[in-house]
Amino acid sequence: MNRVPIIHIENLHKHFGETPALNGVDLDIFPGEVVVIIGPSGSGKSTLLRCINRLEDFNSGSIIVDKIPLTTAENINAVRTEIGMVFQSFNLFPHLTVLENITIAQRVVRKRTKEESLEIASTLLNKVGIPEKAHDYPNQLSGGQQQRVAIARALAMNPKIMLFDEPTSALDPEMIQEVLDVMLQLAKEGMTMLVVSHEMGFARAAADRAVLMDEGLIVEEATPDVLFNNPKHERTKIFLSKILH
Amino acid sequence: MRVQKELERIPGYEVANHRIDAWWWLVVVVIGFVILLAVRIPDPYWRIIRFVSDGIVVTVGVTLTAFILTLGVGLLAALGRLSKVKLINVITTIYVEIARGIPLLVQLLFWYFAFPSLIQALGRWIQYQPFQRYLANPFAMAILGLTFCYSAYMSEIYRAGIQSIPKGQNEAARSLGMTHGQAMRHIILPQAVRVILPPVGNEFISLLKDSSLVSVVAVADMTRRGREFMAANFIPVETWIMIALLYLIMTLISGRVVAWIERKTQTEER
Repeated sequence: MNRVPIIHIENLHKHFGETPALNGVDLDIFPGEVVVIIGPSGSGKSTLLRCINRLEDFNSGSIIVDKIPLTTAENINAVRTEIGMVFQSFNLFPHLTVLENITIAQRVVRKRTKEESLEIASTLLNKVGIPEKAHDYPNQLSGGQQQRVAIARALAMNPKIMLFDEPTSALDPEMIQEVLDVMLQLAKEGMTMLVVSHEMGFARAAADRAVLMDEGLIVEEATPDVLFNNPKHERTKIFLSKILH
Repeated sequence: MRVQKELERIPGYEVANHRIDAWWWLVVVVIGFVILLAVRIPDPYWRIIRFVSDGIVVTVGVTLTAFILTLGVGLLAALGRLSKVKLINVITTIYVEIARGIPLLVQLLFWYFAFPSLIQALGRWIQYQPFQRYLANPFAMAILGLTFCYSAYMSEIYRAGIQSIPKGQNEAARSLGMTHGQAMRHIILPQAVRVILPPVGNEFISLLKDSSLVSVVAVADMTRRGREFMAANFIPVETWIMIALLYLIMTLISGRVVAWIERKTQTEER
C-alpha cells in the first residue's frame, strides 16, 4: 500500500460555541483504504467527516486532502470535487428527476456536455441497480433507492474519496442491505472510503480499519476484528456492549 | 400529466375545480356590470371610462414596470440579507428597515419633491452641471418610489422562501463542488420559487392598488384622471364608483392569473 496518506488530519479542534465537538483528532487515511468510524452519538464522528470537505469550519489544527491544505476558499472547492459525500438523509434534489440529480453537477461543475453526463449517469444507475427509475422524481423512490441514487450522484464527479455519514441510519431495516451491497462493491473496486456507521457486518467485510471516537477524540483504532472482539480500552468495551447487546 | 389523472380520482376534486370556476364567474359579473352601466347609461359612465382610459394604461404600465424591477431588486436585497459578508448584510438590513418603516406616500413625496433638490445641491457642491440642472421625471420618480418600497417587502418574501429549503440541499450541492452561486441558481431558487409564488402574487395585487398613490406626484394614472374628471363635472358618486369598479376588475383578474400560475407549477413540478 502507498504510505502517503490521501487525507492527513492533525490535532483537529472544533467547538460549537461553548460546546466542544473535536478535541484534537489525528487521523491518516491512505489511498484505497476503507475506514469505519463508530462511537456514541455526540462523539464528533459526523463533525469530523463534515470538516474534511469543510461543510463545517474547524477552529484549529490542519487537514490536508490529496496534498491540498484546507485553508483558502479556492482550495475548498478544489477539494470538494475530489470528495464525494453521502448523507444520512439522502438530500436528493426533489425538483429534479433521478437522471437530472446525477447530471446537474457534472454539467455545472465538471463542464461536461449533456450527452457525456447522461452516459455517465446511466452507467452509474446500472451500477447501483435502478436503471428503470431514471425518469422518476426522488419522492417516488423508496429510501434505499434514494440513497443509491445519492451514491451514484456523488460517484458521477469521479471522486478520489467517498465520505458516508450514517448512510443507512434513516432506512427501514429491509432496505439497509441494498445500500450496503453498493458500498461493498465500491470498496472492492478500491475506492478510498471513510464511513460513519454502526453496521458491524459491513465493517467486518469491507473495512481495513475501525476507529472508535468518544468525546471528540479517537479512543482506539485497529482492524475491525480486533476492535470488535478484543478492544483494549474500557470506553470501547462499554460502547460495544451497548450496541451489540 | 399522470398526476392530473390521479388528481381527478380524488373525491372532491370536481368541487374544488368548480370553486375555481366560480371565481371566474365573479370576474365576468363585475365586467358585465361595468359594460351594462356604460351601455345603458353612457352619460356619465361611458364618458368616465373614455376620460380615464389613458390613466388605465398608465396604471398598468407603472405597476408592471415597478413589479418587474421589484422582482430583481428584491432578490438582490434578499441575497444581501442572507450574505455572510457583514457589511453587505448590515447595509441591506438597514435598507429593508427604512423602506418598510416609512409610509409609501411619504416615500413617494420624498422622491418627487425632495430628492431632486438634494441632487441639485450636490451638483452645486461638486460643481457638476448636469446635477445642478436635474429635474424630476414624475414617471421615473413614481417607479423609483414604488420599487424602493416594494423591493424591501419582496426581499423578505424571497428570504423566507430561501430559508424554507432544508439546509441539506445546500450542503449536498456544495459537497458536489458547486459554488454558492451555482447552488442558489440550480438547487435552492428553483425550489424556493414554488414556496414564494403565492405571496409574490399578493404583492403584485398590493402594488397595483398602491400605484394609485402615484397620483399625488403628477403621474396621470387612473386615480388622478378620476379626480380631474370629478373636478370638471362635479359628479363624485358616479366617478368613484366607476374608478373603484375598474380597479376591482384589474385586481380580480390578477388574482385569478396568480391562482392559475400557482396551480400550474404545483402540478407540473412533480
